[in-house]
Parts: sequence; structure tokens; C-alpha cells
Amino acid sequence: MDDAPDRGDEFIASGLASLGIEADETELAVIAGVHKVFAPPIRELVEFDVESVTPEPNLDLSQAPPPEKA
Amino acid sequence: MSAIDLSLRGQARAIAAGDADPSELLDEALARIEERNPALNAIVETFPERSREMLAAAPDGRLRGVPVVIKDEWPLPWRAQRFGSAELLQPTAPAESGPYRALRDAGAVIVGVGNMEELGAGSTGAISVYGPARNPWDLDRCPGGSSSGPAASVAARLVGGAVGADGLGSVRYPAAYCGLTGLKPTFARSAMDGHHAAETTTTIVSGPLCVDAADCRLLASALFGEALEEGDASGLRIGVVRDVPSEDVDPEVGDACEGAIEMLRAETGGSIQEVALPELAAATIAAVLISNSDGLAEVRPEQLNRLDPAISLLNRAVLKYRMLIPSVAVSHSHRLRTLARRRLAALFADVDVIAWPTVPAPAPPLEAPLVDLPSGTETADRANVRGGALANLTGTPAISVPVGLSSSGLPIGLQLGAAWGRDELLLDAAEALERANGRRWVDARPPLAETEAAAADGS
Repeated sequence: MDDAPDRGDEFIASGLASLGIEADETELAVIAGVHKVFAPPIRELVEFDVESVTPEPNLDLSQAPPPEKA
Repeated sequence: MSAIDLSLRGQARAIAAGDADPSELLDEALARIEERNPALNAIVETFPERSREMLAAAPDGRLRGVPVVIKDEWPLPWRAQRFGSAELLQPTAPAESGPYRALRDAGAVIVGVGNMEELGAGSTGAISVYGPARNPWDLDRCPGGSSSGPAASVAARLVGGAVGADGLGSVRYPAAYCGLTGLKPTFARSAMDGHHAAETTTTIVSGPLCVDAADCRLLASALFGEALEEGDASGLRIGVVRDVPSEDVDPEVGDACEGAIEMLRAETGGSIQEVALPELAAATIAAVLISNSDGLAEVRPEQLNRLDPAISLLNRAVLKYRMLIPSVAVSHSHRLRTLARRRLAALFADVDVIAWPTVPAPAPPLEAPLVDLPSGTETADRANVRGGALANLTGTPAISVPVGLSSSGLPIGLQLGAAWGRDELLLDAAEALERANGRRWVDARPPLAETEAAAADGS
């Protein structure tokens, strides 16, 4: 997930190709634009410290989360 | 006054009391659509014979004989959803979806399918296979998305209520842009089955778009399959988050929302306190990534190689790009979801609702959906999602209520969020706000919807 300007196109083209997904030059240019929007907040998200967060078991989004176990 | 100009509940009451003929009301709704929809493109299909069949078979429910619009997101027994797109990656077919059944069982009459943003993938309504719906307050402005047609239909008084869907704010954004009340229910509380993503989504819910909170309560009761009782919002503890969604906003929006929050406090005899959500920015991108990766396992690469060229270039690009979302980011997103849910659970022990502007600026132009904010010019989609995504990430309910008009005559919306299952409290709070401002903003009509009998029919 390299968002450096000179590597982004390479990441997108090779990433799609590795999945067998085709994209023409116009699409690749737009996808690169999408990547420029998504990459910074994704990087911030990945840097956000969630190591101490124990995943919620049996996630039920209709209810408040159960109390954390001590 | 023509019955079609009554509120949703006014229409239901008039029919139940024998003061309005539901057949005539249906004809009025269809005539209103024929008259006003060409300028709006809010309704993409009507089916008068099907509507008459629904009316003929309508049970004596809470919405018997009342015309409503449903978003192009659910199948109907006679029509597959198109999701505003030339193509869906999931198979679709005509079917009884949950919202359809809920409306039918309540006696409502579906008169049309509402336009929507292509693939539900935007907050403005600017892109659709049908061409965009237009905002009744200014036909050159975005109606909001993705429930663009449902919102424009109600704002233009084609119908008294419409069913939208909200996966990242898609009921609340168009409610704010069109001056309506729109409820995003607690996750899984409203009818949802039959949606093409029903088995995989963890963010999407069906929700009502109406002129005011009482109408939303009525339509939500149908969607929930239970009566949402009126309660008491007195002593309301309002939490205000001093962060991007409330700070980086158009000054007119900020002033209107600040004023409304204070009015709500005064009306309820409540209190205001600042609360912190330090993970809000991370929670926003987490919601976007989860929304875009739910159901991704069902997508086959070869499908992406033969996408209908009529799908917009932008959404073709997004469909392909989301295959590259890093798994570490998705993993972080799920932990962020847990963190945000725990944060809100603790926060809602101290306050009853949290409040911030639904969208940071009034509806932008359709031809260039950009908004000017203190931080600079931004795409409306990027700006809007900052305030809309948290409720979908966490499963909590949220409502957008109209609280003003900008100097250019465009609606401003305030969002209130509450704890899981407290949808009724949000409606109570919205009604308290309506009382506080003398129903000034819920009774305001766009010029296109002005009639000789524009006066509201009250409660």
C-alpha cells in the first residue's frame, strides 16, 4: 500500500494484474486518483493504536457492546 | 386542501375517518408526480395498475391507502432493484423485500420507485443511471444521496413519506439537503431482508424520509413492525463533539446548528456538555472500508473485467480499487469498530444524544459537488462522510432534522445520535426541536412545492 506518487501507479497496476483484473489507461488514472484520496486516511488508520483492543465477540450491532472482561 | 398536501399522518387519518377517498388520493399522487417529476427526476418508475392492486388489497393498517415512494434499492414483486446502476455485481430479480412487505402489511400504496446515487456510492445524488434527481429547493443543486429520489419526492410533496436506505449516511444526507427529517434506525431494527446485500452488510438499514418527526415515527413504525411510542425528551442531556464534523463547517451551518442545540436544551430543560470522540477520524475511514469490504468475497475478478460500460467511470474505478484494500486496514477497521462502540456505550451513560451538523455545508451544485469549508474546498462526499459514518460503524441510530435555511435559501440539517434502541428518543427530541422553533423549518416548502393550500395540517 505504497502511496508515494511515483509508486502508486505501479502498485495499482500490479495489484490488479495479480488478481486478474483488467483496467485500461483511463481507468488506471481514475483508480490512481481514488488511491490518492484513500491512502492517507488508510495509513492513519493503520497507525492508530488498536493493539490493546480485544475484538468484540459475537458482534451484535443492534445492541451496546457487552462489558469488557477485566 | 387537497389530501395529497396533507402530512403522511394527516393522509392516514383522513382515510381512516372517511374524509378522504384513497382511490382519489392515489390519483392525486400520480397526477402530482406527472406534474412535478419531469423537473425533478426523483421518481424513475410508476406502475399505476400495481399501485391500484396494492390499494385494493390494502389491510386496515396504520398507513392504509397512503401513497409512498420506495428507493431503487429493494426488489418489488413486479420489479427488480437497479440500485441506480446499469449493473449490479449481485444477482437481482423481482421479489418481496422486507420494506415492501412492511409497507404492504401497513396498508401503504407504493406509487413509485425513487432515484438514487449509482450503487449507493455517494452522498450527493449526482450520479445515477437514470440521470441525477434534482433538489426541489434549487434544481441545479444536489438532492443528497444516496436516497436522492425519495428525499426529493417528499420535499416536492409528491408523497408524504418515502423509504430510503442508509449505509454510510444515505438517509441523513438527503434529508439535510432537502429540508426533511430522516431516520437511520438502530442496525437490524427496520425491515431489511431482500436487499441484495442483506446477508453480508453490517452497515445498511432501511429508514424513513418525511417532512417531520411525527411522520417519521409513523413510517418507521411500519418499517419496524412495531409502534414507536411517543416519549418524553425532558431533561435531555446533549453531548457536543468539538471535532471536525462540528468545527470544519460552513459558518451558516455552524450557527444554525449551535442555535438549534441551544433551543433543544431550553425546550427540554436539559443540559449541554462537551464530549470527546478521539477516534472519530479513524472510525470514519474504518466505516468506509468495512462498507466497501462487506460482501467482497462474493465478487469474482472476471465480473470486474466485463462491467457494463454504462456504469460511471468513477464507480468502475472504485469497484476495482476496493479489491486492493489492504487486509491490515480491514483488520484495524474491525478493531476500530469495537473501540468506537465501547466509546459510545460509555459516552451514552453521560449524555442522551450527541449532536453535530448532518452535513458541513448546504447542497452543492450538481455539476460540481464541492463544498467550501474553513479548511478549504473539498468534495462533498469526503466532507459529508465525516459526520455520517459513525452511526453505521457502531450500529447506533441517528436522525437529521431541519434547523434552518442558508442565505441562499438551502436547507440546513442537524444530526442527533443516540444509544442502541433509542430511536424513539431521537424522534422525541426532533419533535421537541420542532416545538421550540414553532415548526418553522419542517413546515418550510421549496418554491416548487408551494400551493394555495400549503399550510400544514398540524399534528
